[in-house]
Amino acid sequence: MKRFFGLIILLVIAAVCGVWFMLNQKGTSDYSIPIPGKASTLTKVTGLAGSEKMELFADKEIMEILERKENLDIDVKKAGSVEMVRMTPRAQDFLWPANRVNLEYYQETHSDVMRSADIFNSPIVLYSWDIVTDALIKNAIVQQRDSIYYVIDLPKLLELITAKKTWKDIGLEQLYGKIMIRSTDPAKSNSGNMFAALIANTLNKGEMVTQESIKEVLPRLNTFFARLGHMEHSSSVLFNMFLQQGAGAYPIIVGYENQLLEFANAHEETLPLLTSKVRILYPFPTVWASHPFIALSKKGVKLMEALKNEKIYELAWKKHGFRSGLSGGKSDPSVFKIPGIPKEINGVMQTPSASVMNMITESLLPLSGIK
Amino acid sequence: MKKLPIHFFTVCFLTIAITFGFTGCGDQDQSQQNGQDLQNKKAAHAKHQVSLSIVSGSENKALAPVFEQFASENGIDLIITYMGSVDIAREIAKGNRIQYDAVWPASSLWFSIGGSSSLVKHTKSIMRSPVVFAVKKSVADKLEWCGKDVKVTDILKALEEKKIRFAMTSATQSNSGASAFLGFLSAFAGSPEVLTHDHLDSPELADQIKRFLRTVDRSSGSSGWLKEMLLENYLYFDGMVNYESMVIEFNQELGPNQDPLYAIYPVGGITIADSPLGYIDKGEPEKEEAFLNLQSWLLSDKVQKSLRQQGRRTGLIGLDMNNTNTAVFNPEWGIDIKKLIVPVTIPSATVVSEALNLYQTAFRKPSLTAYVLDYSGSMQGTGEAQLKKAMRTLLDQNIAKEFLLQSSPEDITYVVPFNSKPIAAWKAVGNDEKTLTELLTQVESLNPAGGTNMYKAAANAVKLIKEDAESGKYHTSVIVMSDGASKGSFSDFEQSLSQLGVNIRDIPVFTILFGEAEVAQMESLAKTMSGRMFDGRKDVVLAFREAKGYN
Repeated sequence: MKRFFGLIILLVIAAVCGVWFMLNQKGTSDYSIPIPGKASTLTKVTGLAGSEKMELFADKEIMEILERKENLDIDVKKAGSVEMVRMTPRAQDFLWPANRVNLEYYQETHSDVMRSADIFNSPIVLYSWDIVTDALIKNAIVQQRDSIYYVIDLPKLLELITAKKTWKDIGLEQLYGKIMIRSTDPAKSNSGNMFAALIANTLNKGEMVTQESIKEVLPRLNTFFARLGHMEHSSSVLFNMFLQQGAGAYPIIVGYENQLLEFANAHEETLPLLTSKVRILYPFPTVWASHPFIALSKKGVKLMEALKNEKIYELAWKKHGFRSGLSGGKSDPSVFKIPGIPKEINGVMQTPSASVMNMITESLLPLSGIK
Repeated sequence: MKKLPIHFFTVCFLTIAITFGFTGCGDQDQSQQNGQDLQNKKAAHAKHQVSLSIVSGSENKALAPVFEQFASENGIDLIITYMGSVDIAREIAKGNRIQYDAVWPASSLWFSIGGSSSLVKHTKSIMRSPVVFAVKKSVADKLEWCGKDVKVTDILKALEEKKIRFAMTSATQSNSGASAFLGFLSAFAGSPEVLTHDHLDSPELADQIKRFLRTVDRSSGSSGWLKEMLLENYLYFDGMVNYESMVIEFNQELGPNQDPLYAIYPVGGITIADSPLGYIDKGEPEKEEAFLNLQSWLLSDKVQKSLRQQGRRTGLIGLDMNNTNTAVFNPEWGIDIKKLIVPVTIPSATVVSEALNLYQTAFRKPSLTAYVLDYSGSMQGTGEAQLKKAMRTLLDQNIAKEFLLQSSPEDITYVVPFNSKPIAAWKAVGNDEKTLTELLTQVESLNPAGGTNMYKAAANAVKLIKEDAESGKYHTSVIVMSDGASKGSFSDFEQSLSQLGVNIRDIPVFTILFGEAEVAQMESLAKTMSGRMFDGRKDVVLAFREAKGYN
């Protein structure tokens, strides 16, 4: 019996060591909670992501993959892409802004990037309404090809805006006021920031702005955004306002392609109205949001790798309208019940370098009331 | 061998401790060791009761039954605090020090002023309502406005020709007033894409907006109360600036043969209240979950349908709702859901702040205010201190500015302290710092003593302001504060008024309930004099601020 006592002790010690070892393999977690029916535990990963990706994190199927297969418990908070890389994050495992420029800025100003990768691609688009789009087509600013609406003459549209032309001037009698494109605050939100880049390039005769050429463009860029007054800080807030308040309040806004696709999936009952009234206009060329994932810890890296999953890519496209970062932007539009989505985005303009983008952001900061 | 049991128990203890410690299956004490996050997570899983505090615009008071239903169905404590728009913006401006879990102003405008970009998340608009200029249908017919596009300049013309007597809330105290004010400013500035500081510096714009605001017959600090006041005094008014939903409610409450209000959507000067509900993230997942549930519930078909029945515009796409009830969105009342509404652009926060300050100190119709203040013996101690603090809030212009309640150069302020009879009558004209400080010194130097008779003092105040009040140049208000049952009676007061030949409608009386004041006395005085009673028993400073917001 005494011999068995010794054996029992050894077995218990072995069991304790086993548990200890197993837990220490995921030992960086703040805490772990058991998964029903599974012996394994969850690793909590904390981070910030742009508003355009919040529905992705609320998607039960995607979270199920991350939890069940990868043992990850994600705690994410919404933050503007520009804001999140400009502030000092407190103990985050990851940042997930929308744009490569945000990553470059962060890399230049911080030294804690462990790894990074582009996860999705979404082009910057303009959202508009049937009556507005028809007027833009008549004025040869927009062209419809294969049921897809392309903004083929963005310079002309910007000229009309700069010349303070009214909607009536382009034959749109129903709309009062001057032609304008509303965007989010370029000093806080990426869609506004990328739109600023697109306008800067357009004002620079279609050439990508450089540290030299940007100086000439900045005053005009400032005038453009100053005329927008209060700008929303989040793409999702602006998009909802656009939809809910209609063509009178928001004739044209800037957004991500995925926003309407995601909305249409979540609200199928609105499809008849959406398809008859709302238009996605693809600027030609446009700029990409490549949604770079910035891992700041081992847990962040683990989530980053976990996201590169075929099933997640498929769900991200089908349910949320994010094009895969791996497929070169080719995605099957037939999965959506709304028309006008191209299989691939051909005309893509390079965004200016991080230092030039920083000059743009800095010059627009006072418009946000940020000094 | 003797040591074996010790090893055994030590190992067992370690095994249990480590296993439970790492897997989180332990009891409450264990979870506390694992940090607040785990506690929150457990609490959420265990469906413990959660409390959610929301600071909301007062226009949502009508939804109280909806909130109660949600709270009881979901087992959460829903604590709603109703505030004016300026106070909500002040709360948002506190940043992380804000004590509420969610904010729900009448319009996104107040997020902009409060500077909320990184503070508020999950923001979604619950309903929409344009701010309209509504006039009696007979008046709209006469002016040939029915079914036509009416510009703000057309409205100004009709007002200056004295064809419309109307009421509008204060731009610095109520969202509908602020929205209309910004809309009209924009229109008078020639409908630029957005209003700027340069526009506000323009003397022509100042002239037009002053002319417009000086035609306002009656001001108010609340859109809901404005509607009620108009219903009770419809004989004396032709219209109001208010939410489309308030115009609908107004017409629904009118008698069958009464002239309904007809909504005008002023071209170039219209705004939309979008009622955004947003969450303040303080890292408490169970609150966040409760918030998201509440928000989804408010956006559910059932609640949205009920909001539509109350005249609020709902729906995911556009303002032109399908299959709406024409008994609610009645075209006969000018309600036009198919009309393409082009609202003015919300200016940047600094421009809005400057515009509101200019409204308060330069553009608005001047105020004529008489404070009738209880200095009876029972006020000694806390009551006296609170009263003096309230008066400091209004008379010290640095403090008043925080609440956008500053005086203008043309304002007239009286203070009539009383006990069993009026003790004195002090007057200050304008907003000169020295003059107002002198008045405040007088208020602060007086000590309470004696009995209580507010009627004599109120009658005295009316006598003092009668001439100016009847000139029509001022928004007039008598604010009576008392802390005890008053000697005398309302009939004494009425008799004094009749001797003075005062028209009750010309001098609104607001009352502030304090200490042991009799609710019936205070209420009947305010109601008969087309004013409103404020309950200052919990916060008399707030009650004074609210009362002052009505002129």
